[in-house]
Amino acid sequence: MKIFVNDKEIYLLPGMKAIHAVIGAGLMDQIESGRRVYDEWGNEIGLNGEFVSDTKIFVR
Amino acid sequence: MKDTRKLLCGLLLSAFLLLFFLPTHGQAEELRILYMNDFHGFAAPQKLLGSDETQGGIAYVAALIDRLRKEKPTLLLAAGDMIQGDAWANIFQGKPVIEIMNTMRFDAMVVGNHEFDFGQEALKQRILEAGFPVLGANVSGFSALRPYVLKEIAGLKVAIIGLVTQDTPTATRWGNVEGLTFLSVADTSERYVAELRNKVDIIVVLSHIGYNADMVLASIDLIVGGHSHTKVDKQILIGDTLLVQAWEHALVLGVLDLQIKDGKIIEAKNRLEEIRPASMVKDPSVAAIVEKYSTQVNGALNKVIGHTEIDLDGDNVRVRETNLGDLIADIMRKESSADVAIINGGAIRTSIRRGAIKAGDIYSTVPFDNYIVAMKVSGKQIHDALEHGVSAVESKDGRFPQVSGISLTYSTSENPGARIRAITVNTDPLDDGKTYTVATTDFLAAGGDAYQVFRDAIRDSGGFSVTGGTIKSPGIVYNDAGRWLNEVVVQYIMGQKKIGPKTEGRIRQVDCNENICK
Repeated sequence: MKIFVNDKEIYLLPGMKAIHAVIGAGLMDQIESGRRVYDEWGNEIGLNGEFVSDTKIFVR
Repeated sequence: MKDTRKLLCGLLLSAFLLLFFLPTHGQAEELRILYMNDFHGFAAPQKLLGSDETQGGIAYVAALIDRLRKEKPTLLLAAGDMIQGDAWANIFQGKPVIEIMNTMRFDAMVVGNHEFDFGQEALKQRILEAGFPVLGANVSGFSALRPYVLKEIAGLKVAIIGLVTQDTPTATRWGNVEGLTFLSVADTSERYVAELRNKVDIIVVLSHIGYNADMVLASIDLIVGGHSHTKVDKQILIGDTLLVQAWEHALVLGVLDLQIKDGKIIEAKNRLEEIRPASMVKDPSVAAIVEKYSTQVNGALNKVIGHTEIDLDGDNVRVRETNLGDLIADIMRKESSADVAIINGGAIRTSIRRGAIKAGDIYSTVPFDNYIVAMKVSGKQIHDALEHGVSAVESKDGRFPQVSGISLTYSTSENPGARIRAITVNTDPLDDGKTYTVATTDFLAAGGDAYQVFRDAIRDSGGFSVTGGTIKSPGIVYNDAGRWLNEVVVQYIMGQKKIGPKTEGRIRQVDCNENICK
């Protein structure tokens, strides 16, 4: 499935989670330094959150 | 006389059914809904990445629930993915979680996709142990699940319907859901809402389909969601439907206070109570269960699962082929029936000395919650992956590969990206144009350690489809998101009892000068 991390297109397998999307976007170092993942409505989501296709998430 | 008794019984039964199934009218009634989702067996408090503060802990949640219950009529609900995840729960196939949920007196739970990760028999057993209904209205072929439950509380009649993601068959090992059909969430919701709408005051959907998917379910009073691990601080209203969700891992508890009148929610106040052990008390009964199973986990980790006749080298996995790297790559290839396997050396953290192997040794050696993914890739993509793998060997980077089913030679006298000299699969040279199946970890498949090749392979894999109960994917041949690699290795060693892997020259560094390699 395709999702977007900070507007960058990332492809995930079913069962893959927010952490895989963040790894795919090369942003894991930002999470380790304290940044968090949010959905497009500003809700924080856990690193093990699972998605439907076309979900947009943001690391900030 | 018999007829009169029958008539009386019939009248009493009818009166009871009418009383239950007709909604109440008149003054507003209060209802508190406490909710959790995506607990994943994280019973102990934990530190979040990038934070030093400890948060969560199910014994603290239980004490808070106990206090909140005393204030108002309360339902306690769980929106799925409760029993699988942390080793504390996994080692016992989720049994400790059900024991805790029984102690906490949950009213209902929807099955999550990860509830299937231990297989159908284990899930049936967990449901038998549960003192509350486990729901799954859109799961066909699994009779232990109920589509909905009716609750009467404080004069209110509440229907709770359970829905789980239709992606379940593609997100767990395929055998775990064999014979089951995951029906359309929207159609199932519509069907049961129509059936129950006039019989109850409010309809709650316990959903394990994710926040975005919750938004498109309509005509429900309240959706208590899970799956996307969303921290919904304040409820939102989509049409007339309230949506809430409580993050993950018992880091928060959802508290929703409702005023209900004439079958409508007229007021809703939602909050997430942060679980911060430093300023909270534990429920002693739940704390005792956590402790009991923690002790058993320690016992399980100290259990001898096999023996190795030689030292297993986990210290040099970032610079050369090692016997431990070979062993783990071999297990991955065997488990997934792939042609070759590639794992990053950084996934292997310690060595194991000759002698007895304890389960805990494997969890220390392969400590990450990684799982096996196998996909179809071209020979060219394998070449590119291995070029990447040997591109930073001088700095002992975690990307250095450990392999199975494949041999390669490389030279560090060449620049990164042009170091591979030769690759063979079994005994044949790698064919750039041929398709091979490669087993790796979810970490590398997602592009971890900058393995761009696998990320691209996922993009090109063509996704999954479920046709007539059979799962098909043009590009992915193995994807078991519910079984960690360390568990697979433990099972393998238990089956072998004695191992003694030796390096086989799968990865050889050769010195090259003017295209002559030694």
